[in-house]
Amino acid sequence: MSDKNDKNDKNDKNEKLHVLEDEKALLIDHSYDGIHELNHPLPSWWMWTWSATILYSIFYFIFYHMVGGPNLTQEFEKDMIRLNEIKAIAAADVSNFDIEHYNTWKKTNDSLKIGKEVYEENCISCHAEAGGGDIGPNLTDAYWINVKERTATALFPVIRDGVEDNGMPAWGEIISKEEMYAAMAYIVSLKGTTPPEAKEAQGEKVEEF
Amino acid sequence: MNDVKMERFKYDDELTKLFIFATVIWGFVALLLGVTVAFQLASWKVNMGLEWSTFGRLRPLHTNAAIFAFVGNAMFAGIYYSTQRLTKSRLFSDVLGRIHFWGWQLIIVAAAISLPLGFTTGKEYAELEWPIDIAIAVIWVVFAINFFGTLVKRREKHLYVALWFYIATIVTVTVLHVVNSIAFPVDFMKSYPVYAGIQDALVQWWYGHNAVAFFLTTPFLGIMYYFIPKAANRPVYSYRLSIIHFWSLVFLYIWAGPHHLLYTSVPDWVQTTAMVFSVMLWMPSWGGMINGLLTLRGAWDKVRTDPVLKFMATSVTFYGMATFEGPLLAIKSINGMAHYTDWIVGHVHSGTIGWNYMIISGMLYYLVPKMWNTTLYSVKMANAQFWLATIGLLLYMMSMWTAGITQALMWRAIDETGKLVYPNFIETVVRIVPMYWVRAFGGVLILAGFILMMYNLWLTIKKSKGLEEQEYMAPAMEKVTSEVNQTAHRKLEGLPTLFTVLTTIAILVGGIIEITPSLISDTFVERDSEIKPYSPLEIAGRDIFIKEGCYVCHSQQIRPMPDEALRYGPPSTAAESVYDRPFQWGSRRIGPDLARVGGKYNDMWHFRHMYDPREVTPKSIMPEYTWLFKKKFEIKTLPKKIKVMTALGVPYTDHQIKNTVLLAQKQAFEITKGLNVDGVDMKMQNKEIIALIAYLQRLGVDGARSRELKKQVRSEQ
Repeated sequence: MSDKNDKNDKNDKNEKLHVLEDEKALLIDHSYDGIHELNHPLPSWWMWTWSATILYSIFYFIFYHMVGGPNLTQEFEKDMIRLNEIKAIAAADVSNFDIEHYNTWKKTNDSLKIGKEVYEENCISCHAEAGGGDIGPNLTDAYWINVKERTATALFPVIRDGVEDNGMPAWGEIISKEEMYAAMAYIVSLKGTTPPEAKEAQGEKVEEF
Repeated sequence: MNDVKMERFKYDDELTKLFIFATVIWGFVALLLGVTVAFQLASWKVNMGLEWSTFGRLRPLHTNAAIFAFVGNAMFAGIYYSTQRLTKSRLFSDVLGRIHFWGWQLIIVAAAISLPLGFTTGKEYAELEWPIDIAIAVIWVVFAINFFGTLVKRREKHLYVALWFYIATIVTVTVLHVVNSIAFPVDFMKSYPVYAGIQDALVQWWYGHNAVAFFLTTPFLGIMYYFIPKAANRPVYSYRLSIIHFWSLVFLYIWAGPHHLLYTSVPDWVQTTAMVFSVMLWMPSWGGMINGLLTLRGAWDKVRTDPVLKFMATSVTFYGMATFEGPLLAIKSINGMAHYTDWIVGHVHSGTIGWNYMIISGMLYYLVPKMWNTTLYSVKMANAQFWLATIGLLLYMMSMWTAGITQALMWRAIDETGKLVYPNFIETVVRIVPMYWVRAFGGVLILAGFILMMYNLWLTIKKSKGLEEQEYMAPAMEKVTSEVNQTAHRKLEGLPTLFTVLTTIAILVGGIIEITPSLISDTFVERDSEIKPYSPLEIAGRDIFIKEGCYVCHSQQIRPMPDEALRYGPPSTAAESVYDRPFQWGSRRIGPDLARVGGKYNDMWHFRHMYDPREVTPKSIMPEYTWLFKKKFEIKTLPKKIKVMTALGVPYTDHQIKNTVLLAQKQAFEITKGLNVDGVDMKMQNKEIIALIAYLQRLGVDGARSRELKKQVRSEQ
């Protein structure tokens, strides 16, 4: 019946519905604005895949929420225990500062070049170019806030552990021992230089070495 | 049958014409904005140094323009055109149609003005402030009345599948928009949501995901069901599949929302539910693709030559691809990698460009020649657009896959000593900037294609004799159907009211089960007495954070993953965001997470960083926020803000409520005094930057104190 109506639709007069041979039996006897529908069965691969996703979902939910599968926090804590073991070994290595080891490393590597790179990647945002100081203190002068003597032995713990109150990070948790060595060598080499923009002195005057 | 009286009627195609023009104009605007923000990520200088043109304000404008202006107008054009023909009835009311059209355009203009000015709720894809939200609700109801009114006066007894999808669209968007937008106004253009923290997160992503489902998807499935069989002169592949995939789609889709919140502090069971429902949604989505593509059986030669079918077939193919990628990305372990990266951005655009832009182009190439009773001006030009859009989109998707996976692998790389391989976030940004150029170039191609289409359609209309409404004839609807042996569903198709009620029930179930527990029960939102409300100045700063759209690039949610613990600190807890109205967890980390940024840097660092990010972070792509140093933070509205927060249940003390202004000024003075040591003028104490610093320095601080206390208690035991 609808078909008859559609013949009144001028626009559709010249457009003939294109039905393939194998579909003729599947054509449903109704139409809307000339649109017909076939009634193909649901594709079996589609049904099977859908069933599989539903089964997967049920088992997934049961495993993680009903029979004691680990939750996200437990999985995280397990990962952290493993990570902390690795970190503890590395920390033990970093916690003991051996001046001999530092000196040997400094001699056998291009420490100033590496140090400048490490400095520019990590320290420059607060201590400015060439150690002139900005958000953090000037590193070229003789005045220091957290170091009593200007030695590698005194400087290393400050770099390693940071100064929480002033926003200096604990670099021991971020960069490697060698990178800290290099940065330290570079900073020590800045002593007495005159960077383009230097911040005024902060802290106490320390013994030279 | 011979005494059937034929009724004569015309369709309101003038209204469709208006929506077509709006689609084309706003489509151009949305794409131009998209290209602009794409270049802003490639080069920060494109932010142009103005507050109105920074990424944080333009990106929400781009998404709103693309979804509600471009796709919205196209949806209305398609729905009004096809509904009248499928019901054999003129629209219920011409006047309501015009109110709908002009009302919607006014809303878009209001959005285009208010978003760059910084009026925003800070909730993604629902950024518009409460007066505009009310206008949207009203206009949407006008649309609903006009649509359902047309169904009432229909001459066709049964509803075709396209109409089912339109019904689902209208009902669901109403529910989503109203529930997500409920807020308590502070003044004409500022409000706070009634939900906080994880509740707000759950409601927002229930909305956000289903805006994709019921604004970008279901109306266009309806449009696909109308235009593909019409353009191909082919019968729809499977009526049975239509029924199954319609009901399963509308029922399952709603549950998938919280897959945007995997690994966050929302309850584990909600996350799992969202994931498994997303997986189960894959085949129902593909049901639509199968019906679309297999309808083209035997007509593939036409797909090669006819631009309409070419665009439609491609859009359905991209739809299939995006609805495969979606469930894939919802699997927890894959989401753990892809979330917060550009992979998600690529995925979204494979849907909006691949599916929406393509199907809209196909629809326009069908409608314009048909309505203006002429032929398309240039098929060649349409083909050129097709290739520009397809190549542009492929560049877009591939660059975003590369950028997303690259950055995710860099974020999570941990060396053998347990340290992050890329501890400086900026390294992971610099690495993907080349991909931002590729993406922007892809966007230019997509935009260029669109401009070609505008020109082509314009010339088509110009060579026509103008739009003419034709007269149609059909008998009135039979009161009793002559069909025999109707199946249950066939009967239902003749009962629009029942159909609408059942659809409403289907879309409500998922949301109710997932969201209400967190709304009504404290067992899902743990409390922590150490987490205190923000101080008045911090509230002022937080509102600046929202206004500038910081959440567009910075998340505030640390996931339980070793690399995030190393980079940002311990995982975020639900208790930590109980006073966050709106929640600011974000969805993309173009910059680092800020959940625990408080105290990480000193005040001076933030002061410098906001003025010139590259001074403290070389190669940063963040815009400069120089106006924060000139504009005073809003102090007059602060007492009202604290009162509204109190009314919403935030436990401010009497002292804080009575002395709001004084407390804010005192805190601002203290911060500025600290900065003064480094040479900052005390005059800065009433500027926005100070309030923003106060807020940033508060983030994560209470959580840290709470953990410290717990540790002490443990060690004492």
